[in-house]
Amino acid sequence: MAKHDATERDAVDQYASGSFSDALPDNLWMHIGLIASIALMSLPIVLAAIMSTQSVSQIYEVTNLAPGGQGVDNYTRALFEHNLFAFMINSFIMAIAIVVGKIALSLLAALALVYYDFPYKNAVFVFVLFTLMLPVPVRIVPLFELMVNLDWINTMWAITVPYLASATAVFLFRQHFMAIPASMVEAAKLDNIGGIKFLIYVLIPMSKGMIAGVGVITYVYAWNQYLWPLAVINNEENQVLQVGLKSLEGTAAAGQIEWGLIMSGAIIALIPPLIVLVVLHKPLLETFGLQQK
Amino acid sequence: MAEIQLENITKRFDDVVAVKDLNLEVKDGEFIVVVGPSGCGKSTTLRMISGLESVSEGTIRIGGVDVTGQEPSDRGIAMVFQNYALYPHMTAKRNMTFGMNSAGSFTDEEIEERAMSAAEILNITDLLDRKPGALSGGERQRVALGRAICRDPQVFLMDEPLSNLDAKLRVQMRAELAKLHDELGTTTVYVTHDQTEAMTLGDRVVVLDGGQLQQVDSPQRLYDFPENRFVAEFIGDPAMNMIAVDVADGTASHPAFTIPLPDADSLSVGSSVLGVRPEDLYLADEREATSPETFEATVSVTEPLGDSLLLHGQIEGHEFKIQAQPRRTITPGDTVELGYDPDRLHLFDRDTGEAIYHSDPAVSVTPPGVTQ
Repeated sequence: MAKHDATERDAVDQYASGSFSDALPDNLWMHIGLIASIALMSLPIVLAAIMSTQSVSQIYEVTNLAPGGQGVDNYTRALFEHNLFAFMINSFIMAIAIVVGKIALSLLAALALVYYDFPYKNAVFVFVLFTLMLPVPVRIVPLFELMVNLDWINTMWAITVPYLASATAVFLFRQHFMAIPASMVEAAKLDNIGGIKFLIYVLIPMSKGMIAGVGVITYVYAWNQYLWPLAVINNEENQVLQVGLKSLEGTAAAGQIEWGLIMSGAIIALIPPLIVLVVLHKPLLETFGLQQK
Repeated sequence: MAEIQLENITKRFDDVVAVKDLNLEVKDGEFIVVVGPSGCGKSTTLRMISGLESVSEGTIRIGGVDVTGQEPSDRGIAMVFQNYALYPHMTAKRNMTFGMNSAGSFTDEEIEERAMSAAEILNITDLLDRKPGALSGGERQRVALGRAICRDPQVFLMDEPLSNLDAKLRVQMRAELAKLHDELGTTTVYVTHDQTEAMTLGDRVVVLDGGQLQQVDSPQRLYDFPENRFVAEFIGDPAMNMIAVDVADGTASHPAFTIPLPDADSLSVGSSVLGVRPEDLYLADEREATSPETFEATVSVTEPLGDSLLLHGQIEGHEFKIQAQPRRTITPGDTVELGYDPDRLHLFDRDTGEAIYHSDPAVSVTPPGVTQ
């Protein structure tokens, strides 16, 4: 009882004191921290956006942070003179193919892992997870040899098929399917609804958010692939944007690197995944179980 | 419509026996309720009938056909699940009709017609375009029932379909289910843990415990003539009072009292258990005495239930429940005079729990060693 009284008195004292810090929002420091980190993280993008509008001479004036007048010129040159538009189309086709293929394959794998009984099911799942330890860069040499044997060098097959199997997506879909009440599956069983029909009419509509979330992650991941396309594509017409961007680095005007051109290329490369992210941010957050207030 | 026969059904999950050697015959058009505490094997039994669970041993026949090894979809059954199992992204109508194409030979017009008539029976015609998220619990329950009705099955299987509803709605849906069964006359197996549901709905009630059949009987007979102690204590709320007594020469004796057992002059079974329902005990001043003698009990707790007053009384350290008339001013510590109904006494074997004797003249169990 005495303890309770003491706490109450403390609370009253705190109100009465009315110090300066009481007038500030409780989480002032958190806000300052957040604003500072947002500024820090967005700084490179903001700088790139500014530089992409400046001329070479403006860029070399380090203190000049005002948008320049060469924006339209930089962007049209990057897109058409330096072929970024064509690279972008290749990147787009590659990313869409990977997204669609990966989701389809992972849905089927998760369907099998959750709704079918077969021997060593858990071992198979662990094996699928085990492939997380072997991403494309680790497999690059044998994979390249395989591509050569298949005669897939310089084709769209080479930059899409190796990405289709995904342990992460299988894992996410499996967990999601497992959360769907068993009675729904049983109701379907009573009606003799087969696995594929159940997947198409029940599981996919019930997993829209998860599919969109996996789609966003995969799209961004595929769009940003650099090393593997660099290795396996060596003609310009089949090249992707991230590798194409590198070719801008070689351009120079009067001995000076054309940073304006490079930065406009970087912004161009940034925009498509950004659009996907903005449009589908809600399901993406749901995928990771986050709530947006 | 069809009858169901379960012959020596056993279900094992690894080394756990969920259902043991169950024999049961459900008549054509009958509404049978399987009741028991959780883990008694009632849902497993239902799932074995549906085919969702395989049978370890035994045979299941529906309509005379051995369906033991058949797929669920070939058994002519429709099931209503506890959580309704409605697909959240489909409208009520689509939920009812989804899968009918795969299940059998329904044409699109037939499906439409059946959905509409099921909706009319259940009064949900206005709700057909809504998704489950926009329906209340009771409405969802109706849609789930509609899904079963649409399929015009030989057998309805219902797995605790009312337990997700609130108390008031449950009573209402219970009456509607009974009405529905009268209209459709489809053989129904209904699983519940709620004995009130079992008693009110069932033509016959199956009591299971520990995977074993305890008794199958009409609700009233189950109540009046429980075949063993488990049934006696499980059916009826508040539960039957059980008192250890010694029976010799047709008299049950306890340190605090002796009760002559009617029509059982020569019954001598030694130590056994006497069962008396709380409503068969009464306060001596409430009615004309029917018992040859009365006892004094000390009231320890009073529970006013509105329609009656439930007293917890003590006789020599033994606690009893007594259902007295309401609006009495009795407080804990009071001493009350108790009478009992001599026609409503039950005697159970102390070890096996089997019923030895019921004092009701319409008794079905023949007491051993009694010459009547």
